[in-house]
Amino acid sequence: MNEQQQLIIETLSRLLTDLCTPEVVDRSESGTFAENLWQVLTETGLTAAGIGVEAGGSGGDLEDSLLVIREAARFAAPVPLAEHFIAGLLLSEQGQSIESGPVTIASGKFIISDGLSLSGAADDVAFARWCAQVVLVAQGSDGLKLCRVPASDFDIVQKNSVAGEPRDSISVNTKVAAESAFSVDSQTPERIKLMGAALRALMMSGALESVLEMTVQYSTERSQFGRPISKFQAIQQQLAVLAGEVAACQMASHSVVEAFSTLGELDIAIGKARIGEAVSICTDIAHQVHGAMGYTLEHSLNHRTRRLWSWREEYGNEREWQKLVGRHFSAQGADKLWGSMTAL
Amino acid sequence: MFQGLKFEPFKLPDEAELIRQEVREFLARELDPGTLPNSDFNAGESAEFSRKLGAQGWIGMTWPKKYGGLGKSFLERYVVTEELLAAGAPVGCHWIADRQSGPLMLKFGTEEQKQRFLPKIVSGDFFFSIGMSEPDSGSDLASIRTSATKTDGGWLLNGSKIWTSYAHTNHYMVTLVRTEPPSENRHAGMSQVVVDLSDKNVTVTGIRNLSGEEDFNQVFFDDVFIPDDMLIGTPGNGWEQVMSELGYERSGPERFLSAFRVIVEFAREIESNPTDEQLVLLGRLASHLVTLRRMSISVAGMLGEGKLPLTEAALIKDLGNSYERMVPEIVRLSVSGDCSRRFVDTLNECILHAPSFTLRGGTREVLKGVIARGLGLR
Repeated sequence: MNEQQQLIIETLSRLLTDLCTPEVVDRSESGTFAENLWQVLTETGLTAAGIGVEAGGSGGDLEDSLLVIREAARFAAPVPLAEHFIAGLLLSEQGQSIESGPVTIASGKFIISDGLSLSGAADDVAFARWCAQVVLVAQGSDGLKLCRVPASDFDIVQKNSVAGEPRDSISVNTKVAAESAFSVDSQTPERIKLMGAALRALMMSGALESVLEMTVQYSTERSQFGRPISKFQAIQQQLAVLAGEVAACQMASHSVVEAFSTLGELDIAIGKARIGEAVSICTDIAHQVHGAMGYTLEHSLNHRTRRLWSWREEYGNEREWQKLVGRHFSAQGADKLWGSMTAL
Repeated sequence: MFQGLKFEPFKLPDEAELIRQEVREFLARELDPGTLPNSDFNAGESAEFSRKLGAQGWIGMTWPKKYGGLGKSFLERYVVTEELLAAGAPVGCHWIADRQSGPLMLKFGTEEQKQRFLPKIVSGDFFFSIGMSEPDSGSDLASIRTSATKTDGGWLLNGSKIWTSYAHTNHYMVTLVRTEPPSENRHAGMSQVVVDLSDKNVTVTGIRNLSGEEDFNQVFFDDVFIPDDMLIGTPGNGWEQVMSELGYERSGPERFLSAFRVIVEFAREIESNPTDEQLVLLGRLASHLVTLRRMSISVAGMLGEGKLPLTEAALIKDLGNSYERMVPEIVRLSVSGDCSRRFVDTLNECILHAPSFTLRGGTREVLKGVIARGLGLR
């Protein structure tokens, strides 16, 4: 992280401490969008960091926005920063600027006619019910088209993830404005998936860091048998395992950040697989140390752990990405295995 | 994040990648294709191989030229060591001298000691053991009782060390001893001395490990005379000196590559027609290994900058050792019964060595204690 980025993260962290309280996260789960949070993030330019100024963004490096998205996940921020960012990137590639939104991205089955009639549906669309626009890829007669569609054009069936985050089912039958449909190449859906996997990996690593901090903190505050439970070796050993996993995730997340600009498939796959795998170990330990208190809705540990359980499944779970990694290395052959690892 | 748990990305410099090619060519020439490679650093030794490696300049390669080194960077050394391990080269003879004894002397030794030992380590003529554990002192290293008492012109050494790898074939042993009786400060009063293993008052008795090999020993000292100039550093400073070695001892690729040949043979086994499950497993193992390697390189970068990342090193060793223990146990269940001899032999050798992975250089329980301290819990 350079100085500029450190400043961004510190600013964001202060802002989220004030505006992204456990109550705000809870309210979002009960159906109220964190409007104020989104507005302040937009005003401070944090929803469009890393997107060129000419495209309606705040400029800066791509890396800035990745760090912002990672940091926001530490606070379980109930806003579609990742989806808005992907949509912004795709639109900026078409020379289009992004609305202050929020804008979400839908991966599903959509067809667009030559006359720009769009129909189709998608599941698990993040925050669709609270978004201004939906960006999606539709099959046209002569290739794929990226479309930007007002969210009000969709029928939205509200559904939630295990984290209580909106993952809506949406369907549409509408006419797209000519200036809102753009021809894109056949790789675009794959690219969206890679971006999504990379961002979920970063979000998980941010949330895991926060889980480690909360768990260590709790262990020093909770006393049993006359002393803080952090003084028990059994607890210390568990926390050491948790710390090891979180450190590995931090390393993997650095590689994901580096791979993002070129969408390096292998590094993103390794990151999503490795960090996803850590989730089961880390949430197990964190909940064990927190005891029954951590199993309540009242304690904000659940804001992190439930998101982790949700995010590890999204944009391909460990199994899917491990298989891709395995296929890559298997194809090199046993005697090239080491060489292909050091070439990464 | 907590102090001591920060792993910054670090890229190996171009010159390190150049050396990698040289090492690969060297290994292609020198390794006998007839023997089954083993990436456990403690599993194979060949004085001849170590001398050839020394002739290439790849022992003590970071040390100053005046002591025979090449003045190369710590990262270039990193590449050499990981290439040796991944190929399963027999590195047992020189490993400790290169990793620990030499750097210790460079840091704390006298000019005379450096002149005397370092060039011979570099050439692959002097091999070193480490004498730390004793029959009653394992993880609790501060409880050692082997003592050196002052006498005219030196020290008289009495006691015993145990689990010292290759003491029966190596030339010297850097030995942690008490030079003062135990006091309230358990870590005070210890010193490091170089013991000449050919001394007639030193007795080395082999201990067979459970795979039937005799690579570790018990070493007995019966009034062994240690001249003053064989004490390293300052008398009484032994504990600090030992601690300063741990960053090197615990963070290197030998802490997660011990089971690597199992993965290679697994990949060979499934090469022609892998099932989805096998690809998933290979990908899982690879994603761990790639990440561990990056953490290890990150620490190598810190060590190269003169930092002492002890918590990070403990963390790599603990994560890496758990991984090494896991590999053979899950790989064995993901192949059909009809496997090649080569695969089965590699797997079995790893399983027989595996209990040592999480004991040597600090048990996993001790390492987790170090990590817990890094978290501020102790």
